[in-house]
Amino acid sequence: METLIRYVGSRLLQAIPLLIGVVTLIFLILHLAPGDPTAIWFNPGIPPEVLDRMRESMGLDRPLHEQYLYWLKSFLIGDFGYSYSQFRPVSEVIGDALPNTLLLGGVSLLVIFGIGITVGVWQAARRHTAADPALTFVSLFLYSMPGFWLGLMLILAASTWLSWVGLPVSGMTSIEHSQFGLFGRFADVAGHLVLPTIALGLGSAAGIARYVRGEMLEVLGQDYVRTARAKGLPERTVILRHALRNALLPVVSLLGLYLPLLFGGALVIEVVFSWPGMGRLMYDAVLARDYPLVLAASFLFAVLVIAGNLLADILYAAVDPRVRHA
Amino acid sequence: MVASAIDTWRDAGRPSFTRPLLLVAAFMAGCDSGPPRGAGTTSAGDSVAAVEAELQAERAYQDAVRASDSLAHASVAQRDRFGGTIVVAGRNDIQTLNPLVATDMESVQHQAYVLFTTLVRSGPDFEPLPWLARDWTIDPEGDRITFHLRDDVYWHDGVPVTAADVAFTWERVVDPAVPFFNPSYFDAWEAVEVLDERTVRFTVRQRSNLLYGWAVTAILPEHILGEVPVDQLATHPFGTSSPIGSGPFRFVERVPGDRWVFEANPDFPDGLGGRPYADRLVYRQITEDAAAEAALRTGEIDMIVDADPASARRLAADSGLVVTSYPSAEYSLIAWNTRREPFDDPDVRKALTLAIDRESIARVVRGAYGSVSAGPVGPWHWTWDPEWKPLPYDPDSAAVLLDRAGWTYADSDGIREKAGRPLRFELYSTPRQAWQDVATIVQANLAEVGVEVQPRVREQAALIPLVTSPDRRFDAFLVGWSRDVPLDDRDLWACDRVDDPMHFTGWCLPELDAVLDSMQVVADRESLARLTRRYESLVADAQPYTFLFNVETILARRKGLRGVEADARGTWASVADWWLEPEWRR
Repeated sequence: METLIRYVGSRLLQAIPLLIGVVTLIFLILHLAPGDPTAIWFNPGIPPEVLDRMRESMGLDRPLHEQYLYWLKSFLIGDFGYSYSQFRPVSEVIGDALPNTLLLGGVSLLVIFGIGITVGVWQAARRHTAADPALTFVSLFLYSMPGFWLGLMLILAASTWLSWVGLPVSGMTSIEHSQFGLFGRFADVAGHLVLPTIALGLGSAAGIARYVRGEMLEVLGQDYVRTARAKGLPERTVILRHALRNALLPVVSLLGLYLPLLFGGALVIEVVFSWPGMGRLMYDAVLARDYPLVLAASFLFAVLVIAGNLLADILYAAVDPRVRHA
Repeated sequence: MVASAIDTWRDAGRPSFTRPLLLVAAFMAGCDSGPPRGAGTTSAGDSVAAVEAELQAERAYQDAVRASDSLAHASVAQRDRFGGTIVVAGRNDIQTLNPLVATDMESVQHQAYVLFTTLVRSGPDFEPLPWLARDWTIDPEGDRITFHLRDDVYWHDGVPVTAADVAFTWERVVDPAVPFFNPSYFDAWEAVEVLDERTVRFTVRQRSNLLYGWAVTAILPEHILGEVPVDQLATHPFGTSSPIGSGPFRFVERVPGDRWVFEANPDFPDGLGGRPYADRLVYRQITEDAAAEAALRTGEIDMIVDADPASARRLAADSGLVVTSYPSAEYSLIAWNTRREPFDDPDVRKALTLAIDRESIARVVRGAYGSVSAGPVGPWHWTWDPEWKPLPYDPDSAAVLLDRAGWTYADSDGIREKAGRPLRFELYSTPRQAWQDVATIVQANLAEVGVEVQPRVREQAALIPLVTSPDRRFDAFLVGWSRDVPLDDRDLWACDRVDDPMHFTGWCLPELDAVLDSMQVVADRESLARLTRRYESLVADAQPYTFLFNVETILARRKGLRGVEADARGTWASVADWWLEPEWRR
């Protein structure tokens, strides 16, 4: 246990320079990109003096290193600045959007690993039946399908021959949301989650299924599985207790790697389904050159990615005694 | 009965609507297989007829829609029109309803027509009509204007709207510390004096469209914002989380990145139309066109604002939906950098315009929802002259002009040359699909007359510094923008402003400067219309831009949503009169 804590501690310390490096790099790239935040007011009729005044009020007339130091300083004291495209403090903007993305990402993660592992194990256990190649075909098909396209197809289906189901195709809550009771609100959000979760998770779930199937087949060929079977244990116990636990070791490390992928995918899926989350926020912020918002959002993404990797490592250590004692 | 009127008509008339699509396909195929000259000339007669048929079909459709609307109006008693929630979807979120800082169309309209009241209101020809000001008098010398306000308009918290609010609003919009996006609305307004609670007097200078600024700038509540330091007004949360207005709808809630919810204001004075019909009005942001389309079909929303022309065709074929359009202030163009060769030669610019098939471009990009643009004034503006025709599509005359300008075929590569320099240029645009289509057509059209176009794509934030920075390192770019009622285009053309960011072309003419200056000071509408014509003809002679097409804003709505009468004043101008047929309420 003590080694684990020390391990986590050192990883956290390593994360600090990494994060500063990430945001510095993003700061530089953003400012090197042509254009500035006043681009969104591009229209003849707006006097140049007004634009200059706006630049001045955003501090964009200062030299780059001054802007950087000023920004880094306020960042360190937790002041993320003011979003000029949203007319609100960045912390407020992110505070509204982040939970929505975490919800979508979290539910998708559950779906990805829940469905992926179940299907993979099931396939491996029925290796010599027709179900295995059939599922292989289906999962390869889903795996190759771009999420945004799947999303558009789902929208199409939900608005035409599946319209009797009444699944909402955009947004996160209904207009009547605030009038619902607790259960009603929960059901409302759950309904809105269905399509984006499928679009975001199905392809990845198929990938995990392929992976788990391969791992399971390898493990099922091991001597200890033969021993377990020889002891007369029921097949169910052999697969779930003896084989699955070992097959899952590499899958656990995938968990951390899937976090950034999930947020990257969320960017597109959120736009398709008008999900009011971080992905869409960041997309709009980059186009509007909303520097403070982009910087704060990328910082958060970096934190999530690093945390995801750390989580994967810790989980790995937790499930694999060899790592724990090394 | 109402429904069948449209359905019958559609069965009879709609199929012809698909023909221009084939025309477009043929045209594009022509581009791929070398010079499209053959395809263009043989089908020229047919294509004109097809376009005409398409436009006629569209006009007939819109007539049928209007007939159906007025039938519904006649058959549903006024008291039965109250009730229901109207949900409107647009591509962009409304970021703030603070009238001091919001610049986008949706925000400005929600301020002027939904949440707030304005001092005056624009009529269909942008003539000022009484609104919060029940009338006004102008001193004989013309330098003072006195507004008499209504006494029955209240802020949504119960405080009456008074002359002090009007004076406060004016003081803030002209304050240099407030980033109000169009201070020129008020540059002829010099001083204010509150005479009593309902009377306010301004000192003004002579100006055309003098009152227009008051028709688009919402009056602010002094009792709420009066104490806020001027430099903090722009960042004050008033506009993003708790706006209090005085208009026909009250603010209920905002879900950032998703929607704004408003409810009917029962105290809105009868003299201004009284309580609006809808119980609730919702504005939703739906970024993806396909999702908006699906939401409209499933009844999640009642109307899409600014629908895409391609989906408009599909939506109009749905018997439960209606598609209408109105002329918007947006037009698109190619700006030529006349600081560079060969665009310094007016004959070359004119030749390029003649060689570009703008009718095809308008049809490809806008379908039936646009028209070829002849100049900076489109059908949306009251000074627009329908008789004023754009230069024709005439590649032969273009070739003659280019020959005369010295650009000739010196070798067999198909590109004209002059003194060894090939006639080749880069055409910049943003990555929007519509612009890519336009660039492709322009490239094919100009290849026909021996001009090579190299399309270049830059994201908007990257394109702007390229075309606005002092060195102007570009040949030409494609752009669309919206103009404002006062038509103050001096930033585009004035000789003493050639180094200003918006002076893209570098072309100027002292005579035009005089015309543009006069356009801003004449008070009578006839002179203004005459000057505008002069402006158009001077620009047309020189062709510093090639004007491409005027845009119509497309509204796709469920059939049960009635009373949406939109024109160039905006989609929401009639919002208080929108109503839902009882069986279409959710």
